[in-house]
Amino acid sequence: MSAVFSIALEHLWLSVAGVFLACVIGVPMGIVILKIRVLAGPVMGVIDILQTIPSLAMLALVMFFFGLGNMSLITALFIYALLPVVRNTFIGLTGVKSELLEAGKGMGMTGWQLLWQVQLPIALPVILAGFRVAVVTSIGIATIGTLIGAGGLGEPIWRGIQLVNTPMILSGAVPAALLAIIADYSLGLLEKSVVSRGLQVKNTN
Amino acid sequence: MIRFEGVLKAYGSLEVVKKLDLHVLEGEFLVLIGPSGCGKTTTLKMINRLIEPTSGKILVNGQNIMEMNPVTLRRKIGYVIQQIGLFPNMTIMDNVDLVPRLLGWDREKRINRVYELLELVGMDPEVYANRYPNELSGGQQQRIGVLRALAAGPSIILMDEPFGALDPITRENLQDELKNLQSKLNKTIVFVTHDMDEAMKLADRIAIMKDGEIIQLGSPESILRNPSDDFVLEFIGKHRVNSCELEKVESIMKTNPVTTDPDRKGTEMLALMKRKGVNTVLVVKNDKQLIGVVTIEKLDNKQNLTYKAEYLADTGLPVITAGSPAREAFDLLVSQKLEYLPVVDQNRGLLGLVTRTSMVNALASVVWGEEELS
Amino acid sequence: MSPLLDLLLLRWPELLTATWQHIYISLGSVALGALLAVPLGIWLSTREHISRMVLGVVGTIQTIPSLAFFGFVLPILGIGILPAMSVLFLYSLLPILRNTYTGIREVDPALIEAGRGMGMNSRQLLFMVKLPVALPVIMAGIRISTVYIISWTTIAALIGAGGLGDLIWGGMNVYDIWLIVAGTIPAALLALLAGFTLGRLEKTVTPRGLKAGYTSGEGEFNI
Repeated sequence: MSAVFSIALEHLWLSVAGVFLACVIGVPMGIVILKIRVLAGPVMGVIDILQTIPSLAMLALVMFFFGLGNMSLITALFIYALLPVVRNTFIGLTGVKSELLEAGKGMGMTGWQLLWQVQLPIALPVILAGFRVAVVTSIGIATIGTLIGAGGLGEPIWRGIQLVNTPMILSGAVPAALLAIIADYSLGLLEKSVVSRGLQVKNTN
Repeated sequence: MIRFEGVLKAYGSLEVVKKLDLHVLEGEFLVLIGPSGCGKTTTLKMINRLIEPTSGKILVNGQNIMEMNPVTLRRKIGYVIQQIGLFPNMTIMDNVDLVPRLLGWDREKRINRVYELLELVGMDPEVYANRYPNELSGGQQQRIGVLRALAAGPSIILMDEPFGALDPITRENLQDELKNLQSKLNKTIVFVTHDMDEAMKLADRIAIMKDGEIIQLGSPESILRNPSDDFVLEFIGKHRVNSCELEKVESIMKTNPVTTDPDRKGTEMLALMKRKGVNTVLVVKNDKQLIGVVTIEKLDNKQNLTYKAEYLADTGLPVITAGSPAREAFDLLVSQKLEYLPVVDQNRGLLGLVTRTSMVNALASVVWGEEELS
Repeated sequence: MSPLLDLLLLRWPELLTATWQHIYISLGSVALGALLAVPLGIWLSTREHISRMVLGVVGTIQTIPSLAFFGFVLPILGIGILPAMSVLFLYSLLPILRNTYTGIREVDPALIEAGRGMGMNSRQLLFMVKLPVALPVIMAGIRISTVYIISWTTIAALIGAGGLGDLIWGGMNVYDIWLIVAGTIPAALLALLAGFTLGRLEKTVTPRGLKAGYTSGEGEFNI
């Protein structure tokens, strides 16, 4: 049991590491393409195309450049997570109503003050939703990381499939499913708790 | 306070504001009004450099704004927009004290200021300071929008159709409050609207704009009294009739009463009355000067038919001088049970006639609107 | 590039078979998914309580990692196309179901009231008002599903379903990058092509009066 637990932890760590890197790069990238709007099309285009590469293929390709092991898996997860992170950052920021920008500008806020005090806080729920999608997706892709020699819960599943050993499959599949469901649920809760009270949907009047 | 000198704003070849000269005085409430696309909002937004003029100069307190840092400039000028634009992620407190915060006021001073402002519009700070915008009604939100503009104590406030999106009753209330605030705080306010009622109610001076130009600039009364052209006339529309106190008797009189010279005989006058379908004629000397009036009853007598108008005229009838308020004519007609009332100039020269019918028509147009009744 | 060319010349029948398998596994799964999810979404659109539960369950299915899911069905359905398509079918449900449900729920109530006021019965209301208005949103759901199911189908090769995943997996085993590329490019192209075609279709089914209104979106998933 404790073995399963430590494998699950490793799985979680691998998944989150890729997403974390994607956030570190992706959120600033979303801001950059917001500020330099001509870049938005090309950047989103490239990320979109990367996204159509099937995950198995992505792992295979990454393996050729980075070899077998955890680093390759994290790299692949990073590439996949970029899309939801960059896209949601960009959409969240551009979704801020123009009158708010006008009001802020008219009151004498600088571009950076607007970004930090208005745009990012308002975009936060959307950015977090992107983070959540990225994490859940990564937990899923990480299960096939075992094919390129990475650790995590994919290992017992894959070995079980090859050996036609149902208990072994389930010893990986059940925790992997639970991990994804729990991550999805708790990030959903986080999303709600982080969102400013003023942004939660409410009827006016 | 704010001075436009030959300000032009063009997008390509389209000039939305044309060589504008305008001086907004200190402490005045200036309303820019006009149909959409007339350049009023552009004019307003050039003051805080949200839109930059193509050429010309705008001076605020004698300083050319193009030589000022736009951010510094804007922090000194309050700004209220139609869509309200309260930041949904901030509490009322944080929204109102935004500019003071940007200016680096200390916390205690800011809190005091927000409380003071909320109390000014009768919103209990204990209740509202920590609420979020979406927890307030539209009217309350725009109250906060106005307070936000006042927070750092700017001497100039720009308002871009601030009450345009509110329901009529809320709008009236906010107008009253703004008027009230203005009398207490004595700010210089530039206010854009397309609603003439609002302009009439709030403005010290109104600038009527059309196609990027100011067509007429003046106090509400002077614009009502002397509209400069047909466009202005049409724009102020019903207000001309609506404001009964301002109405002069000339505007409701009939200008071509049936008249006769003093030498006409009774028979001729009877024929004239039949032809014109009236039962009174006014007797005037030298084509102008009013002598008196002859009614059809007077001509019911065969003998009288042979007399000249001069002798038949009733000279004691009340008259009213041009320039008197219409209301006075109305009072006379009612109190003396008159059918008509001649309008004369200083020298008793006849100008027209107010009858009960013309009075009723004038009243009707006030009650039912502007369509002209003959 | 010449190793890739050699490979194509040598193994093109295999590549064609794999592509064809890939297409029918993925499109077949989505078609079955749409067949269930669209009517279900319509049915749920008037039943708020059940809908929350059903969407919750389908949403949970969606989060289960694919390899884990294949692992679950393997003991029951064995290996091959059947377990692969069953899993892909289940994965395809969520975007279609969710978009159908919200698409219909978000039809302007004024339209529905107007329709009802003109004497439409609920069937007429559905076919003449709700569905035409919601169709672009439903199509967007089908598009999103198709694109990522094409991607996920590569993993189905791991449980012996065939498809382009076979080439990729084969390439990984013999350490041949060109074999991997030969599997990857058609798979990516298929996904792009499906996204593009369905995107166009989405626009053509949008009633002209609604154009430039709705932007499709909602969720992106990969495995």
